[in-house]
Amino acid sequence: MLEIRPDHSFIQTLQENLDHPDKLATWDGFKLAHQAAQFKTVPKFEGLLSLDHLPHVNFMEHQVEAAETVVHQMNGRAILADEVGLGKTLEAGLILKEYMVRGRAKKILILTPASLVNQWIQELNEKFYIQAASPRKKQASWKEWDVTVTSIDMAKRENHREEILSIDYDLIIIDEAHKLKNHKTKNYQFVQSLKKTYCLLLTATPIQNKLSDLFNLVSILKPGYLGNLTDFKKKYQKNAEEEDNIQHIHSLVGHLMIRNRRKDTGLDSSKRKVVNELLSFTEEETAMYQKLEALKANHPSFTWLTLAKELCSSREACYMSLKQLKKNAPEEKAKVYDEYIEAIGQLPHHVKAKKMAELIEKTEEKFIIFTEYRATQFYLQWYLQQHGITSVPFNGKFNKSKRDWMKQLFQNKAQVMVATEAGGEGINLQFCHHMINYDLPWNPMRLEQRIGRIHRFGQEHDVKIYNFAVKDTIEDHIMKMLYEKIEMFKNAVGDLDHILEQIPGGSFDQQIQSILKQSDSQGEVDIKLSNLVSYVEHTVNERRESS
Amino acid sequence: MNTANRYTSFVKQFFLSYGCSIVNDHHSHFTIQLTCEMDEEIMNRPFYWHYMKKMNREGAPMQLTFTDTEQKKNGGIYLHAGTPKLHTLYNTAIQKGRTARLYEVVREISGRNKAMSPWLIVNALLHYRGKKAKDEPISIGINLIHGTMMLGMMDKIQNIDFETKVSDYTFPMSPVISLTSAYKRMERHIETYVSSLDNEWAIDSLHHLEKEKKLLESFYESEDIDLESFTKEREQIDNRYKPYIEMEVINGGLFYISQDTSAQWIYH
Repeated sequence: MLEIRPDHSFIQTLQENLDHPDKLATWDGFKLAHQAAQFKTVPKFEGLLSLDHLPHVNFMEHQVEAAETVVHQMNGRAILADEVGLGKTLEAGLILKEYMVRGRAKKILILTPASLVNQWIQELNEKFYIQAASPRKKQASWKEWDVTVTSIDMAKRENHREEILSIDYDLIIIDEAHKLKNHKTKNYQFVQSLKKTYCLLLTATPIQNKLSDLFNLVSILKPGYLGNLTDFKKKYQKNAEEEDNIQHIHSLVGHLMIRNRRKDTGLDSSKRKVVNELLSFTEEETAMYQKLEALKANHPSFTWLTLAKELCSSREACYMSLKQLKKNAPEEKAKVYDEYIEAIGQLPHHVKAKKMAELIEKTEEKFIIFTEYRATQFYLQWYLQQHGITSVPFNGKFNKSKRDWMKQLFQNKAQVMVATEAGGEGINLQFCHHMINYDLPWNPMRLEQRIGRIHRFGQEHDVKIYNFAVKDTIEDHIMKMLYEKIEMFKNAVGDLDHILEQIPGGSFDQQIQSILKQSDSQGEVDIKLSNLVSYVEHTVNERRESS
Repeated sequence: MNTANRYTSFVKQFFLSYGCSIVNDHHSHFTIQLTCEMDEEIMNRPFYWHYMKKMNREGAPMQLTFTDTEQKKNGGIYLHAGTPKLHTLYNTAIQKGRTARLYEVVREISGRNKAMSPWLIVNALLHYRGKKAKDEPISIGINLIHGTMMLGMMDKIQNIDFETKVSDYTFPMSPVISLTSAYKRMERHIETYVSSLDNEWAIDSLHHLEKEKKLLESFYESEDIDLESFTKEREQIDNRYKPYIEMEVINGGLFYISQDTSAQWIYH
């Protein structure tokens, strides 16, 4: 027998109000209430009703499909694992809105890195007409707020924790969920103990290193679904190579995970054009670069690599490191650096800076420029200003409101944004479609993240990317050794990021870092790097053959 | 009538009914002058009104412009299914129009007094909840003299004039059936109605519920999860899949209707 939950309060209210005519409605008022309720009615089980509520947002096909699948097939518990820039947030928002429209979700908690809290609140408000609150340090009313956006760190604080854990949430959304891969952390345990009906986990890299990471994400959605961790490890860890096992897990997880890839979606309609600009140092710069080589003899290879790479970026960046070296050196040796510091002061403007200004002056278009060094960032801003070009700085250490402010300034006033690496995450700049990678990070995939800031859902133009490198230097070397090869692999297989994250003994990024730190000579660095690249190549080929 | 116009006429009707005026009415574009009361109710600026009252000043209620086109050039609130302001109006309308006592307007010229029958009329939403969710509006009337029950009541009375005062030469009859028992009959009717429906959605939900429960129990038996998360998860599975129907009354009231009028429903 189907349970019917009656409305007990109404008839009593009516009886009371009949004694107080001022509380009674007119015929017009009565009809209006009835009509309002008709408008609010959810007429059918199927489909996405929220789309009618959001005519101002152009959702892409894969986003609508994802939302439908999560609501109607996965029944509201899922991992959204689209590649970066395909609009996972929009998918999550659409699902959230659908559950609200259908009256299934009222209490909602969104956990996101602190730097993204404002962005979430803004998007929910502008795109989804959802008013969300975010707690300050002391002031929070978890019970009253229907939709709350906050960071896990804030939520698990002593004064909030108990209250949050006592609430029955209808829907919990966890952004950047790959950070929860370790089940021993406090964050994981906190999330695991939340009370939730529906739950969405958002991540761009569902499988970073180990299958057990995936296990832990699935366990948040469906405890027990993949067995317990010990058995899971026993069964799969040893035989992780066996295709059958992997297939099995993938088919299990398939019921819980949505992963759209860039190539399967219409996103490639806005294309990216990558131009590698190989520039030549001036004579003075070449001399300086060669001079630095003398340092190789009595310094760890890492020191020279750093300085050389910095010189390829700006005099200023290199100068800062030299000063630091001098400061840290014992007094009698400190003098060694003076001649370098002296020489660097004599250098003319950097060849890259000139090229940069040339490119920007040619057009009215907006540019975002990425550099790895703060010193370069300052220099470039000054240099641009000298050329009458307006620019704003950006870096990951800015607090939320400063980030937002800089983004607005860039959008409305300035032509250029000069960002450091730390500014790579958590800012969307679809209104800009020119990027200069002023210096090259070791890890080519880092470039991918940068590009993802502008080449993402919502970009209507083709995106043009300039990679600057100086000929016959360490940068040239990085370009040939890593970038061009990796770029080739990328064309061969779609999910290169996946492969790069799965290298035994740590991700590609970690590998590069340890190669740089642990090698004694540049020769050693080269050999190790080329081994690493060969390994990736090998995996790529294997993948191609098996598919 | 297209949907945009439906919203437009609702919005205009709403404001006019509650004493606001239309100061500007163009094709697809109109401006409303709010009253102080309405401003306080829907504009969400409590501090302004608090301040005004404290200063013993009158306060200036705002104007609102609505449009049924997406074009931004004339500004205004674009009316569509999701417009937040529209949802504020829905809620205000429902809250203000919850209960009523209304008399059919009868222009009686014969001079003979006419008896008006009391009806309890209730509009409700049935919320179907389970693996999936939808609503069904329902409108029921019961004659409180002889117990005749009518469905689709709102449609029947939609175009009849009602007033809060009884018309001349008419007299309202006292109910024989109490409001509470009439309401109970409505609830029973809904039970019968629901059980007569194709309840595939509920069976599907139950089926899914059982499947998930069994799966969870097997995880527990094989010690893949501990008792605590078993209990918690068990509850959450119920929340997600357990089918039920929730009856939510939107509004209702005591309506006095002439027998001439009700006779038409019964014999047609």
